[in-house]
Amino acid sequence: MRRWIGTTLATTVLAMLAITPGAHAQSASQVADVVLRVGEVSDLITANPFAVSAGSDWTVVTAQYDMLLKFNDTDLSPAPSLATGCTPSSDHMTWTCTLRKGLKWSDGAPLTSADVAFSYRFVIDHKIPQYRSYFTSNPVFETPNDTTLIWKADAPTFALDMPPWVYIVPEHVWSKYNGDDLKTIKAVPNVPSVVSGPFQLTSWKRGQGWTMERNPNFWGSAPTVDRIEFSLYTNQEAMVQALKNGEIDVADGLTPGLFKTVEKTPNIVGQQVVSDWWLNLAFNFGGQGPNADPLPALHDLTVRTAIEMAIDKQAIVDKVYQGTADAGDTIIRKASTYWHLDIPAAEEIPYDPAGANKLLDQAGYVDTNGDGVREDPKTGDELRLRIPASQDTTGAVDAGQLIVGFLKDVGIAVDLQPVTDAKMNDFWAAGNFDAYIWYWSGDPDPNYQLFVFTSDQCGAWEDGCWKDPAFDAMYAKQSTTMDRQARLSIVQQAQQEAYDQIPSVVLAYPSWLQAYRSDRFTGWTPAPGADGYLLSTYNYDSLLSVHPVVGAAPSSSPSLPPVVWVALSILVVILAIGALRRRRTSDDEA
Amino acid sequence: MGSQHYLARKIAYAFGTLLFVLTFNFFLFRVLPGDPVGILARSERLTAADVAALRAQYGLDQPIPRQYVTYLQNTVQGRFGESLRSGAQVSTLIGGRVWPTVLLVGLGTILSTIVGVAVGIRGAWTRGSRFDRNTLYGALVFYAMPEGWLGMLLLILFAGTLHWFPAGGYASADSVGFHRILDIANHLVLPCLTLTLGYVGSYSIIMRSSLLEVMNEDFVLTARAKGASDQVVRRHHAVPNAILPTATLIFLSFGYVLGGAIIIETVFSWPGIGLLTYDAIRQLDYPVIQAVFLLSSATVILANLLTDITYGYLDPRVRAS
Repeated sequence: MRRWIGTTLATTVLAMLAITPGAHAQSASQVADVVLRVGEVSDLITANPFAVSAGSDWTVVTAQYDMLLKFNDTDLSPAPSLATGCTPSSDHMTWTCTLRKGLKWSDGAPLTSADVAFSYRFVIDHKIPQYRSYFTSNPVFETPNDTTLIWKADAPTFALDMPPWVYIVPEHVWSKYNGDDLKTIKAVPNVPSVVSGPFQLTSWKRGQGWTMERNPNFWGSAPTVDRIEFSLYTNQEAMVQALKNGEIDVADGLTPGLFKTVEKTPNIVGQQVVSDWWLNLAFNFGGQGPNADPLPALHDLTVRTAIEMAIDKQAIVDKVYQGTADAGDTIIRKASTYWHLDIPAAEEIPYDPAGANKLLDQAGYVDTNGDGVREDPKTGDELRLRIPASQDTTGAVDAGQLIVGFLKDVGIAVDLQPVTDAKMNDFWAAGNFDAYIWYWSGDPDPNYQLFVFTSDQCGAWEDGCWKDPAFDAMYAKQSTTMDRQARLSIVQQAQQEAYDQIPSVVLAYPSWLQAYRSDRFTGWTPAPGADGYLLSTYNYDSLLSVHPVVGAAPSSSPSLPPVVWVALSILVVILAIGALRRRRTSDDEA
Repeated sequence: MGSQHYLARKIAYAFGTLLFVLTFNFFLFRVLPGDPVGILARSERLTAADVAALRAQYGLDQPIPRQYVTYLQNTVQGRFGESLRSGAQVSTLIGGRVWPTVLLVGLGTILSTIVGVAVGIRGAWTRGSRFDRNTLYGALVFYAMPEGWLGMLLLILFAGTLHWFPAGGYASADSVGFHRILDIANHLVLPCLTLTLGYVGSYSIIMRSSLLEVMNEDFVLTARAKGASDQVVRRHHAVPNAILPTATLIFLSFGYVLGGAIIIETVFSWPGIGLLTYDAIRQLDYPVIQAVFLLSSATVILANLLTDITYGYLDPRVRAS
């Protein structure tokens, strides 16, 4: 009996002691590797560049694949990538791009202009939704040699100057999917992948995380980091604890409250990324179908102006986003720093509830029955807005609740309805709403974002069916203006037109929030600009430049102190033996 | 003959319930507002034509009765289709989540069963003692405590403050071999402890109350009159007759193992079926929702069947009736 007890104790203690190093869990061959550990809040949905949709997808795909020309680090303008440059003909109908020599895929196969032509044709032939807006002028591609791509269009195009956000994939891998439908293309897992970028996805466990390792055939300067390990956290508080504990080096996607807390922690730096989306209160002008029944008064610019004046955007920034956003103005996101029009404060429609009341009074929208809600003098209808707000958009419902109060102060009632995006689709299709709270994001280039607000998009992308011939003309003019500076001027005029006509109130530009351990890694190259993304969202430059702080301890999982494991083990063994002995005594007596 | 008839009847009921669940699942999720393909339109820039084409490719343009027949045929053949969201095979998605869920919820259920039953027995047998009072209050507190909140407390204490355990996840990405097993165990401690503490109360309270009822029965008095020791009376006379309600709860709890523990899995980023279900419902991912609901319903039905069979075994009166 004593021997049995001794053996059990010894075995248990040894087993428990073994757990301690297990928590750190590194094989001998990996000890020297430089590993960057990243906590993510959204899972990787696909590693397929033709099916990307969520944030983590872009981070992974951008680290793996090159574009022909990339977005630069400062304002996302075109910069050399696989191609050292692209030159337009005088009529801008032909562009000639020169690729670097000696490019290789990660499997060793040569990367040539044929791969570029194939990738572009693949997008066109399969009508890949995310990318096809770059190929509106029916281009054909010629590859006279391995390092030259000629893009010939049937109309002048600035597509190469946007640049096309299309990843170049290896023809020898993807050609077997030619002719397949979109569903089949979307279902290609693309793991393991053949890539040209600095990292390739080597392992991926859905719901847990994924690992990217350095591509030995990468054409640029080799990154210092050997491996990036992404861990999924469905609880952001837990991700923050992991960052503080040193389990991860970067936390990607924090809530404003946690961001404010964590950035005060020593050795942790918060990164409030310049916004690439905006929250809007968009009005419905009707015309979606027979069930569309928006409030007629919304066609009156006075009413829309009064609503904008009644909304305290700074309060939304402060209360909903806890200061991690900017008050909104125009329909081009702030991250497109080259294109975004920043309306001067003196020219902005001011937050002025008293002025809004006065405007409505003067226009005849008065409360005739004393119930606190104004009536439309033409129809007699109450100014009561049905506003669905997206539960799937950060801050939309909270902002909506503030707006209910803001508009009540100017005699406009709001029936706020929090809905899922699935339900929001139904509203958009039927048109049975007066306004909605949702978001827009767009590309670095403004063409697509302006396009969705054009009159033709009623029933497609323009959910409120705003129709403004002046705006349409500006969109059309910018789309045929090849000079970048001249185009900028027209794009800003279009933003001003949308700001003045108020098809939607741009409420806020919320920031994406990241934080990293400054005692572990340094040398980040965010894009765009110093307050850009730390990771590979627009380009992978930051992953090339980031490196460990000299003498920094690597991140690792914590574990229970050995002495606690030993104490617990002994306790468990003693309890088990005690229970066995009591049982034996009981059986003997029976 | 009676036993066979009883068994056949119970199995027939189980199949009937399963068929009802199959049908109910199919129609329930189609009542949810929204178009499962349309929801992708914004993030993937699908035009109305793209959405229509994809709906046709997924068979969602067919009349509902036709979709139902196809769904039944595919389910019988074990084909659950592809996720609308990711394009991955549903069986692969679920397969990757089963083991973490079984590990967490299964182990948590076993531990809470053992501890709960033992505490309940001892509490009832020493009714009114300090042990009884303390464990009863403790059980009530943990039973009433929201498990998400309890999980957060444990996470902040043991991961955030003491740094004893990881803040979440299933395993470190770079762990391999035996180290991986230990690493998973390290990650498992906090969610499993939360689940055990959350469940232990129900077992101990039910076990305690049913044993208290049995302790006043005549056969317990008879056993004592025969001179049997306290332990023998408890182990051989009282507990076997008091175990039936707890056994029901235990079997039903194991039936819910494959359903996952959504809140605890979310708090500790544990990649189980609960999380998969939550995400699938938010994304209206019909094939995934239908498959996970079918799986969890089937295990509950199976657990019910086993409970009925065990009841018949434990208590012949049930079988006879």
